[in-house]
Amino acid sequence: MENSNRLLFLTAAACATVMLSGCASMRWPWHKEKVEAPQTEEQAAAEEEAEDADSTPPRVIDPNVARRKIKTPKIDNENWELGAGFGFMTIEDFGTNSAYAAQLNYHVTEDFFFRADLGQSTAGRTSFETLGGNIELLTGDERRFTYYSVSLGYNFLPGEVFLGRKLAMNSGFYLLGGIGNVKFAGDDHLALNFGAGYRVLPTDWLAIHLGVQDRVFDSDLLGETKVTNNLETLLSATVFF
Amino acid sequence: MEPSITTTRSRRLRRTSVALALFACFLSVTSLAKQTEEEKAAKAAAAQEKLLQVFVSEPYLELSTGPGRGYPVFHVVEREQSVDVLHRRTDWFKVRTEGGVEGWARARDMRRTKLADGSPFIFNLGDRAGYTTHDWELGIGGGDYGGANLIGLFAARSLTDYMKVDFSLSQFLGNASNGWKAEIGLQHVLFPEWRFSPFLTLGTGYVETSPRATIVLPLDRQDQTAYAGVGARFYLTRRFFLRADYRWHTIFTSRDDNEELEEWKIQIACFF
Repeated sequence: MENSNRLLFLTAAACATVMLSGCASMRWPWHKEKVEAPQTEEQAAAEEEAEDADSTPPRVIDPNVARRKIKTPKIDNENWELGAGFGFMTIEDFGTNSAYAAQLNYHVTEDFFFRADLGQSTAGRTSFETLGGNIELLTGDERRFTYYSVSLGYNFLPGEVFLGRKLAMNSGFYLLGGIGNVKFAGDDHLALNFGAGYRVLPTDWLAIHLGVQDRVFDSDLLGETKVTNNLETLLSATVFF
Repeated sequence: MEPSITTTRSRRLRRTSVALALFACFLSVTSLAKQTEEEKAAKAAAAQEKLLQVFVSEPYLELSTGPGRGYPVFHVVEREQSVDVLHRRTDWFKVRTEGGVEGWARARDMRRTKLADGSPFIFNLGDRAGYTTHDWELGIGGGDYGGANLIGLFAARSLTDYMKVDFSLSQFLGNASNGWKAEIGLQHVLFPEWRFSPFLTLGTGYVETSPRATIVLPLDRQDQTAYAGVGARFYLTRRFFLRADYRWHTIFTSRDDNEELEEWKIQIACFF
């Protein structure tokens, strides 16, 4: 009997200890955070002395280290390529004349790029005009051949060209195809363009292109509607940025 | 003997003047050289400061001579060594090793390098995840605008994954008239994470129509337009997707009637 009483009492005591300590470790809404009173220097010094006197070992690792935030610099993307070129354009029935153009490329992947071309040339005289004497098919303004096109390009055959023993420059061929507009003989024409080019890069930011493109459109200038092929050959320099 | 005196004097004069000029030149050149050296040093320091340094955590990092898979590997950076990232072109990074060797590293390999604090080097890789979340879109294409052929390009800026501001510029070439139009609108992508994702669009624009030379019509016209449309986008591969859309335009003409036009087009686009 006495034994069972003692057991009961001990169990109750153990439960109370466990529960109370558990309660203390929990946060109750009616408990207010203990606000530490600002310490005076003397108090701090006194405490330090007391701590020194205690033989508790100092903490080897301080877990409260502020994590250093590393700011990563922005990486310069150089996917745009802008440049201008000069060359010649063969306008069907109107001879070959000088041409100049501007181009803007955006490199999407190592294989593909978008390209916008804007160019101008001036048509010469047809054989008919030359032989016929005083005949003028087009006025001066109408002879201006202006065009723009948007194309998709595909890089292939990448390689290097070697100039002497020490200098190697990256190079590559590309194919182009797209659509655009040609303004010629006072009228706008929907034109398809396709061609190929060769690119050499003396440095990472500079490229020299030699490109040939055919600009194809329907023309009814000489009476009947026919498909005209207009070949453009350009040497251009572009800069990556 | 007069001439001889003059000659000597003038010669002396000339000599001194030449010497003075040379000295001035030398001074200016040296000062210039000093300046340029200082500038160079400052520039180099600034560049050094800005460059990102990453550490190779795989057994090695290969460097190619050019930004493409066809260019040969010419150098290898060992584990624990660092490289400075100079710039990026498509999926290649131009890097400089500790020894000063510069070459191109593949983005896929750069993904496995670590920053100075040990965290992985994370950047935008052109893949499906990028298709859902990106800043810009750019595309070109063609279609039909009220019976006329249409050539156009567009750029879109993402406000969120779902909402984009869309700018487009196009030219149309018809039998009766040609013209230009520029439009700005809002685009709502319904399910940006889907590979084939529909979208709704609403916007306004400006259209300039001019009659073709062969047909006699009174005047060029400039009108304001508004449009509503539906479309779909389809992820192709890498950074590419196709975008096809149909737009229903109302053109606010100066006449009594507003004109209504249908437009459809298909475009190939990329995101970055």
